[in-house]
Order: sequence, then structure tokens, then C-alpha cells
Amino acid sequence: MEERIVKFISALRSGGVRVSLAESADAFSAVDNLGIQERDAFRLSLRATLVKDAESLPTFEELFPLFFGSGEPPPLMNLMEDLTEEEANMLAQALQEYGQRLREMLERLLRGEQLTPEELEGLGQMVGLNQADDLRYREWMARRMQRALQFEQVRKAMQEIMELMAQLGMNKERLDQMRQLIAQNMESLREQLRQHAGQRIAENMAEQRPEDQLEGLMDRPFQALSDSDMQKLRQEVRRLAALLRSRIALRQKRAKTGHLDAKATIRANLKHGGVPFHIKHRDRTLKPKLVVICDISTSMRHCSELMLSLLYELQDQVSKSHAFAFIDHLEYITPDFQGNRANEAIQQVLIRMPPGYYSTDLGHSLQNFADDYLDTIDHRTTLIVVGDGRNNYNDSRLDIFRKMARRSRRTLWLNPELPMLWGSGDSDMLDYLPLCDTILQVSTLSELTAAVDQLLVEKS
Amino acid sequence: MKTISAFQSIEETTDSLGGQQYIANDEISTTVYLSQQLGKPLLTEGPAGVGKTELAKAIAGSLGRSLIRLQCYEGLDETKALYEWEYAKQLLYTQLLRDQLQQTLAGANSLAEAADRLTDEEDVFFSMRFLLQRPLLRAILSDEPVVLLIDEIDRADAEFEAFLLEVLSDFQVSVPELGTLAANHVPIVVLTSNNTRELSEALKRRCLYLFIDYPSLEQELSVVRLKVPDLAPQMARQAVELVQSLRQIDLRKHPSISETLDWAQALVTLNSENLDRTTLETTLSVLLKHETDLRKVQRQLGRMDGQDDDEDETDWDEELPRRRRRID
Repeated sequence: MEERIVKFISALRSGGVRVSLAESADAFSAVDNLGIQERDAFRLSLRATLVKDAESLPTFEELFPLFFGSGEPPPLMNLMEDLTEEEANMLAQALQEYGQRLREMLERLLRGEQLTPEELEGLGQMVGLNQADDLRYREWMARRMQRALQFEQVRKAMQEIMELMAQLGMNKERLDQMRQLIAQNMESLREQLRQHAGQRIAENMAEQRPEDQLEGLMDRPFQALSDSDMQKLRQEVRRLAALLRSRIALRQKRAKTGHLDAKATIRANLKHGGVPFHIKHRDRTLKPKLVVICDISTSMRHCSELMLSLLYELQDQVSKSHAFAFIDHLEYITPDFQGNRANEAIQQVLIRMPPGYYSTDLGHSLQNFADDYLDTIDHRTTLIVVGDGRNNYNDSRLDIFRKMARRSRRTLWLNPELPMLWGSGDSDMLDYLPLCDTILQVSTLSELTAAVDQLLVEKS
Repeated sequence: MKTISAFQSIEETTDSLGGQQYIANDEISTTVYLSQQLGKPLLTEGPAGVGKTELAKAIAGSLGRSLIRLQCYEGLDETKALYEWEYAKQLLYTQLLRDQLQQTLAGANSLAEAADRLTDEEDVFFSMRFLLQRPLLRAILSDEPVVLLIDEIDRADAEFEAFLLEVLSDFQVSVPELGTLAANHVPIVVLTSNNTRELSEALKRRCLYLFIDYPSLEQELSVVRLKVPDLAPQMARQAVELVQSLRQIDLRKHPSISETLDWAQALVTLNSENLDRTTLETTLSVLLKHETDLRKVQRQLGRMDGQDDDEDETDWDEELPRRRRRID
């Protein structure tokens, strides 16, 4: 049993649930306490100790029956037993019609035989079940196995046989009964395949080594990131955000200047009899207000998405933020983030604004901004532009950008391109450059994190 | 009411929580029982108003323990949560005890001797007498076993969590002047979170996790029957069914169990015979606390009754300004 639980835990891990060593130790002591006789109590003792996140609960609920299921596939009924001799003859006659493979399958169904482990194994190999290590493939694998067993043909053949039997003069009531039983048997077989597929995938998941090459990914340029890399980085962003958050909070708390923190001062100086040798400050500076304008054209998408995810994880350190996305025109995307993860929100925006045929037009987007949203920038706002400044030879609308930069407290431009490329080709970066307070080259997640950190350090 | 010193089994947990008018399902009672057996804090998450805080109260009630509650908020720090020296009292005492101090110091032959004598008395000023105990320290030092409720931990700052770790894993507190104070009785700790932000891994690791969701129809019905026994059974069912269907609609805030109970109470008070349109219109504000939600639901109910009025127009009017309004 212990081994099974260990396997279950590593399957959970590969399913994306974070389970620490301490938590698996807890799981074992919980199981010691409640025993494994009562399945429900057992399930709950594992769940309360291993899963600490409402989002991971579905993964748990899906995997649990695969590891600790009853293990018995649903039983099949044997129809042959209670046939009269005459009926059996009729059936045998009807079966003659079919080729050998199909006939074997039909007879198996009528006799109510389950698939043997060896057969399941063979089927699994045929459809490539051993390579599958994600439960999303479960239904698909089960369907492929059904197809390999010629389920569709079998179903049709069964119908034909029933019709034939009816023609041969079989009692209608008996026939209905048989039809029902056969349908049940097929359903059971299907369930058996589903179970097998699920169990096998779960076991593959358990054996999979958790990959951990985040270090390298942090420093890989955005253009070189694959989809699976992005998936890992998205998780990493949350951890980074937590780190940043406590750093920012601490910095605000233990400031060198700012308002006198009377209580902290008295407390710190008790050892000097209340004579204030050490002055403590508290620095609740105004949290920054942000306006972020992101280029989400294909070349910039990863960078913008990670930037937005970081910012939205840090919501509580920012007093107000407005996010805009543009390719050829500008859209206000803050509502998309309500209740969504950054990548889902970006997906939504991209559906409204499909990239590809459009060409990036920052100038026009700035015009949109000036028309509708200029009032979001005031003297406390930090304006952040995430983009490569490549404008497809469109008008760069420096006049609007100058106005925006003047209205805001600070203007920050994040550009993933190397500085030596700025101004080359259709890049208008050198024109925008003098209008910004800070320009940072961010081409990797670690550089992006450093940029965001700096953004929140600066007193606004 | 029957109280027990500890839960002996899962069934007993369910029963005695039931005795406190708290209807616990298997999940809740198993996890509560486990957290007692393993001596680990219980972290409960779920939408607002599903009875997370009530659970802690019910545990305290059924074990006959007193409940110490720490309500978290932004800016909560250890001086509010753990302990603080009462410096005013310390200063006052030094003033008042000046004569005694002088007596003690009188006749000292050298400065060093006087200082030594003073040092001997130093403990008086850094003793429990001057320690202002805040909820966490109170829970640890209590002579009786207690239940400690740390409510809405997600509202506290992230660094406050880090500071909770020592308390929650070892049940001890270090006060530099006094040394380490360990718990006489390990308290049962219940943390609640509304999931407004991600809690740290380290904190989660030390807790058992319990997600409490909105109850099923039957469960909610039995809660209503238990707490508002005066409501006619037929009405109770209708009311709960309506609340359950409201939770399926996309609203800014879904009605919680406590709001269901308030509403049920309101229906009793108004002597309502059945849930007709007028009753609904007058009492719906007990369930829904946002103007937009209220209007949305009224429109939907109107549609159900077939009394559809020009809602397309209202939709349009509403949608546009809201989109603009969110910006500022």
C-alpha cells in the first residue's frame, strides 16, 4: 500500500500539484490514523494532507480512483447460459455470417468475457498508450482502443444479428432482453478500456521524472521560448511575484527616511530606558499607479504576457493599474483580467484581435489612447510601454507620446531588442527614446523581474 | 449541551458539531478529526459566507473550549497579534517605585554594587506582569486548552504569514527578554481564507487543507430547517431552490448561507405564504447586495414569469457606462 501511495504522490506531482516531502509524511501519518478500510476516509485523509489548493482538487479527484479504485472492471453478463437450445442454434447460424475476427469479438460479447490483462496490454501498445503521460489523452486513448477492437463494426453486426434472429422467429420479449444485455456488456467493455487507459496513463505520470530546468529558462530570450517552456515560466512567475511582493513590503516597512514610527521607536529603545537612540521610520509611500501599454503582436507576445502576469500577481502593491494591448489598434484589457490568469486573458484579447494579417501600428494605437483613455494618466501614474518600437514605417505620432510622457510621473519603456538594433529598419525606438525617463532592455524573464522590481522601488 | 474533551471518531465529530447546530458533511468532519489527531492547523478556504468561521466556533463549542479569535487585516503585525510590552505601565511603575528603588540602592558602597543590586531587580520590569498578551500569545499560554481562530489570513501581509510559521509549527513564541514560551496545551488552530491572494507554500505545508464550497440543496435545506424552524417546509424548499439557482447566475456576489438564513428569517417575519413576485421583489435585497445583481436577477425572474419588459434597452444602457466607469 505504501508503495502505491508513493506512486500516487509522484503522479500528483507530475500532474502539476506541488507536494512537499513534509506533506507526504503527513499523508502517511493521516493514513495511519484513519486506516484504509473506509475508502472515503482514506481519500479525505490523503486529500487534506496533499492538496492545498482548490485548483488542484480536480486533478486529485481524477487520479485517486485510478490508483485506489476498486480495480475491478464492471462485470459482464453471460447471455449464452440461459438460451434454449433452439435459440442457441439460431444464434450460431446468425454468427456464421461474419469473418473470424469479428465473430470472436461478437462471441466474447455474448459470453460476457472481459478483456484479459495481456489483451489490454497488447491493445495499449497498438495505440501508443505507453507514451501518454497526461490525463487529457485518456478519452482519446480509450477511443483509439475501441477502434482497434472494431467496436463500431461489432455494434452494427449485433444489430444485424438481432434483426436476423427476429426474422428467424425469436420471441420479441427475449430479443429485447438480449439487446439490453448486449448494450450493457458493450458499455462495460468500454468502461474497462477507459479504466485501463486511465490507470496506465497515471502510472506513466508516476514514473515521469519531474523536470526542473527553470534556471536555464529564466535566462532564455523570449523569442526562443517554446509553448511548454512558457507553461513552466507561467508557474514560475507566481513564485517570483511572491518573492517580489515580500521584498517590496519589507522595503516599505523598514525605510531609512519617512514618517516617524512612534511605536516601533519606543519599542526599539526600551533597552535604553525610552531614550530614542534608534529612530524607526515607516514609509508608506503612495503605491504607484500604472498604465501599461503592451504590444501583443507575434514577436512581442511572450514578453508582454509575462510582464502582465507579473503585474497582475502584484496587484496588491499597486494602487491602480490599467492595461492596454495593441497591434494595429488599441484595446482596454483590464476587464479581461478579472477572474482570469494572464495567459487566458491574453488569449481572449487575441481572439478579438487576431494577429498576423495586421501590421503593428503604434502611432494609430497612441491616437486611440489619446482619444479615449488619456484621463487614465495623471501626475501619479507611471506609464509603461512594452514593445519593440517597430512601427512598420507608420507615423510614430511622437506628439501624442510626448503629451502622454509629460502628463505622467514617469515613463518607462521595456524593449526586448538589443540596443544596437534600435533605429534599424522600421524601428522608431530612437525617436521615442529621448521622451522616456527609463528604457530597459528586457529579453529574459530574469531581466523582466529585475525591471519590475526596480519599477516598484522608485518612490512615486 | 453535551461537551467532550476530544473527538474520538469521525462519527462523533459529526454528531457533536451537529449538537452545536453546525451541519458537517463527511469531508468537514473527517478533516477536523484528522487535524485534531495530527495536531496540525486546519486551513479552510471557500467562498465568503459558507460557514468557515462558524466551523471554528462549533469546534470550540463542542469541545467546551474557549475560542480565541485573531481577525487579520492589512498592516497587522506582531505587536497586535502576539505581544507588546506595556511601556506606559512600566514607566509608571518606575516612577511609583522610585522610593523602593532608592531604598534598595541605599547603602551601596560603590557604583558597581548599586548596579548589581539594580540588575537583580531588573526581572521585575520584564516579567509577564508587563507583557500585554495578544491573541496568539494568549492562545499559547492559556491554562485551559483553547481553539485559536485566525480569520481571513489572506488579508494580512505576506510577511505576517512567515511570522506565523513558528507559532503554528512549534506552538512556541520567543520573547527576547523572557526566553521561549512554549504552549501548555497545544491549541486547535483553524485558519480561514477567502482566497483573495495566494498563501505562501510554507504556510500551506504546515496545515491540513479543507475546501468548503456552497452546500448542496439538501444540506442547505437542513441548515435552514435547523436555524429557522418557523419557516414552513414547503416554503423552505422553494427558497433554498431559488438561492441555489441564483448561485448559477453570473453575479458580482453570490448569496451565502448566512444570507439564505437571513432571508428565511425575513420571510418568517413577513409572514409570507408563498414566494410570489411581490414577496420576492421586497425581500430580494436581503440576498443580493449589489444594485447591478439585483436588477439582473429581477429581470431574469421577470422573464421566467413571462412578464418580459423592454430589457434589451436596459441592457444596452447599463453595459456601456459600466465599461467606461471601470476605467476611473
